[in-house]
Formats: sequence, structure tokens, C-alpha cells
Amino acid sequence: MNDTTATLRRGTVVVALVLAVVVPLLLSDYYQFEASEIAVLAILALSLVLITGFVGQISFCQYSFAAIGAFTVGSLSGGHHWSYWLALVVAVAFSAVVGILVGIPALRLSGLFLAILTVAVALFFDRFLLAPGTWDSFSGGLEPWRIGRPSFFGIKLDGPYAFYLFTLGAFAVVAWLVWNLRIGKTGRVLRAIRGSEIAASMIGIDVTLWKLAAFGLSAGLAGLAGGLLAADIGAVSPPSFDFLHSVTIAAIVTVMGVESIGSAAVGALALIGGPELLTHTPISPDYFQLIVGVVLIVQLVFAPQGVVAKTAEDVKKLIAKRGGDHTSLSPNATTQQMTKVHT
Amino acid sequence: MSLLEVDGVSVRFGGVRALTNVTFHVNRGEIFGLVGPNGAGKTTLFNAVTGVVRPTSGRISFDDHEIGHLKPHRRARLGIGRTFQNLQLFGAMTVLENLMLPVDAFARRGLLSDAFRLPMASFEEKRASERARAMLHFLKLDGIEGLRANDLPVGMQRRVELARALCLRPKLLLLDEPASGLDARETAELAEALPQIRERFGTTMLLVDHDMALVMRVCDHITVLDFGEVICSGPPSVVQADERVIRAYLGEEVA
Repeated sequence: MNDTTATLRRGTVVVALVLAVVVPLLLSDYYQFEASEIAVLAILALSLVLITGFVGQISFCQYSFAAIGAFTVGSLSGGHHWSYWLALVVAVAFSAVVGILVGIPALRLSGLFLAILTVAVALFFDRFLLAPGTWDSFSGGLEPWRIGRPSFFGIKLDGPYAFYLFTLGAFAVVAWLVWNLRIGKTGRVLRAIRGSEIAASMIGIDVTLWKLAAFGLSAGLAGLAGGLLAADIGAVSPPSFDFLHSVTIAAIVTVMGVESIGSAAVGALALIGGPELLTHTPISPDYFQLIVGVVLIVQLVFAPQGVVAKTAEDVKKLIAKRGGDHTSLSPNATTQQMTKVHT
Repeated sequence: MSLLEVDGVSVRFGGVRALTNVTFHVNRGEIFGLVGPNGAGKTTLFNAVTGVVRPTSGRISFDDHEIGHLKPHRRARLGIGRTFQNLQLFGAMTVLENLMLPVDAFARRGLLSDAFRLPMASFEEKRASERARAMLHFLKLDGIEGLRANDLPVGMQRRVELARALCLRPKLLLLDEPASGLDARETAELAEALPQIRERFGTTMLLVDHDMALVMRVCDHITVLDFGEVICSGPPSVVQADERVIRAYLGEEVA
């Protein structure tokens, strides 16, 4: 069964990558710019997959971590003329540290209370820290930070397609790293912690340390997305990091399936592509949030594991039926196998 | 030569006295039974030893170290393993993954070696899976490693949980009602398995169960708790004949 699944997965990844490289080439500058935004948001969505999908911790403040990344890059690179890359490294580290700090009170919370804590963090950033007059040397006050497009090993990334390829590459690398974590010891330990913190600690797992590491890693990824977004848009200002964005991206990632890495990419595509599609219909793009809400309810009822995860399962089942052999993953086969073992 | 020393341990939850001044010592290599009616404080005692609850007073030492201040995962790493009365397997994970986790907890690798697939990561992965498979084989659980823990019948889940606790290579194994939910045949298998485990790994065991026949059969020493206090302690033959024990179990005779 693993062979078929692995081949299928590899095939999907290769096709998706080829499409992701080729399709924007045929599109206008504007859509190429949107494509780079999708790649960056996919990294942000991955940060959610890590903290919510792997460890089961709800977060409504991923855009706040992204904001730390973006404004660190903005103030250092735009305000103090640092190299973009150096600023980006500092941005990721700073976001990770703030993520760990948020993780400390979060250690004792879960479910609803954790959700409320992250909402409080998001509102603190949104309404206080980034508000003009609070910390203008970080937030830029009323003036947005201006950031030029960086060069990547001598290649100037100023064309929209060049920058898109760079962000796509960044997403691919991050997705590969997160995938490796998922299939390795880290993924196993984090899933164990999500399953039962007490049982995990009874077999020697340092639950506190791993949870803080996951918060730090997730926030660091979000900060990376923020720093890339700053260079992508070329300007950083507080409205781009409004609290509601955090809620929308959490909703979209949930709809797609919060445990899967593929759903981060599809989710980001929907997040940018959805409103874009609506502009070609009589419905105003302002209704996008409403549509996401309705879809979320439908998904939670009919496909609680998420749309992407459900599709993957259905495809697997379909192949199993076609093959009609041992590849089946259906509960039936499992019981049969089990009875065999038992008797 | 005690491995575990519980001295004057009391646990209070608000006004409720769960344990009062409990004292007993478990010798190395012993299978030590802890019995008592429902609500006698057996699970609370396990929680105090493993660090899930903090005693209000008293002293717990393990392997000649005071462990009262240590967090649960530190105690596990010192060599205290545990199974649960209400099974605590990671249900969505496979049996093999469940068994690899205690090995993972010790492994000297973390986020970086995993993320970049450093050679160390695959080496440790192999080591963990080998140890897990060996343990499955030892407990006659071959062939189920790829199944999800939740899909197994209760009897097999109990055995997998036992295997997982043993993968930690514990010096002391706390067994919280390992026979509950087992049928007669499975209980008999368990009674055979426990001395075998001790022989193979040298594991000292602290066993709590309601199945008195099982406890009498496998334990070298038995301590009886009632309403949070030790009422009797000694080898099975002594405990079996003790007046207070009979009263605690059958209730006082109406005069």
C-alpha cells in the first residue's frame, strides 16, 4: 500500500511543481505578482499546519508573527538600510522568540482558552503595538516602510516572474523541511503530544520543550512569510496584518485539512484566487469571507478531516478498488487482517 | 536494597485525603502488589510516583535519588515506566510508532537532524524501529506493527501498552490494573508474561489489580490500602489471612 501512495504523492508533487513554474509564465505581470503572494501565503499556511495540524494547538495570531517578520525587515532594511537578507534572518529569529514567549502561557491552555489567548495576542499587535504612535521606529508610524527587491546571489529579483520563482523555491524548501519533520521522530513526538500529554510525558517526552519548540518554529516560519511578503509588496504597513487575516487563513487551512502540507498550498491558492475569481462574477469579492464561512461549516459536517485530505483518501480508495488487491486501506481490510492476527 | 521508597506520603485534593501517611519500600527485582477496594488511593499513588500529582507531604525516592521535585518525563528517563488503567495508547498512530516513541524520547537528535535528514536521523530511526520490533516479538505481537492502535481489541491494546512501557527499558514498571478488560485466557497469559519480563529485563514491578487470584499468583509482596492508608503488608499468604483485609473487602460484620 505504501508504494502506491508514495508514487501517487511524488507524481502529484512533480505535476504541481511543473504547473506552478509554467502556468504563471503565460500570465500577465499582475497575475505573476499574485502568484508570488500565493507562494508566500502558502509558507504562512504551513506555519499553521505545523502548530495546529501537528501539535493540535489553535492559533489565531499567525499574521501577528508574520507582522513581526515584515516590520523587522521593514525597519532594518527600509529604515536602517541593512542588507535584506541579514534583516530577514533577524526577522525570522525575532518572530521565533516571540512565538516561544506566546507559547509559555499557552502551555497550560488548550482548546477554547488557547484560541482566546491567541486572539488577545493578535489584537495586542493589531490595535496597540502596530498602531501609529506606539512604536513608530518599528511600525513606521503613518508612513509605510519601503523595501526594494533584493538580489539573490547576484540575480536581481525585480521582475515579477523572477521574484515569483524565488518565493516558489522558498515554499518548496520549507515544505520539504516540514515534511521531513513530519515523517521523522519530530512528527511522531508532536502527534503523541497531541494525543495525550500525560502519556507522552510518562514515556520520557519533554512535553514543555517540544511544545515551545513547535511554537517557535511555527512563529519563525510565519515571520519568514512576513519578511518575504514585505519584499514582495515592496512596502510594509499595519493594515496588511489585520487580525481578521489570521482568522481567514485559519479557516481556509481548516477547510483544506490542517494536517496536510498540500493543503497549505491549496489553501493559499484559494485565499488569493477566490476573491480574484469573484471579480469576474457579478458577486463582489467582499463576499469571499462569507463564502469561506459557509464552506467551513459544510466541510466540518461532511469532511471533518479537510477537503484536500478527503480527496487524497478518496483517490487512494478508488485506486485500491481498481487494483482490488492488498493495497486497500479500508476499515474492512484492517479488521480482516486483525482477526487473522488474533486467531 | 530498595529501588522505590515511599515514606509517609500524603496527598490531599482540597478537603479530600486521597493518601494518608503511606509508607512502603519496593525491593529490586520484586513483583510488588498494591491492592485495595475502589477509591483506596492506588491510582493516586501511581500518579505521585510518576509525578502527575505532587504529594502534600512525604518523601519518594527512586534508585537512591529523591525524585519528589522531578517532572514526569525526568522520572520516566530515570527508569520509571507505566501502563494505565484506562489505556493511554496513541490511538491514531500505528503500533510500531507507539513503541518507537520511548526510544525517540532518549534519542540524541532533534529538529535540525530531522528537518535536513542528516545521517544521524535515519540511524536513530532504524535503532528505534529495531528495538520496537524486538519488543513486539518478545511479547508475541508480531505482525500487528502497521495497524492503528485504536483498531486493536482491548486485550491486545493492553499488551501493546505494556510493550511500549518496556521499550523505555524501565528499572521499575508500574502496572495499573493490567488485567482489566482481559478474558480468562488473556489474564493467564499476563500472569505468565510478568515473571518472564522480570527474568529477561530484570524489571522490578509494582502491580495494582482487582483480580486477587492474579495478584496472589505473581506477587512476592503485597501491600493493602484502604481509604488512603496502609492496613496490611507482607507476603501473599500473610495478607490473605489478615483480618483487616478481609473486613476491608467484605465489609464489617454487623454485630
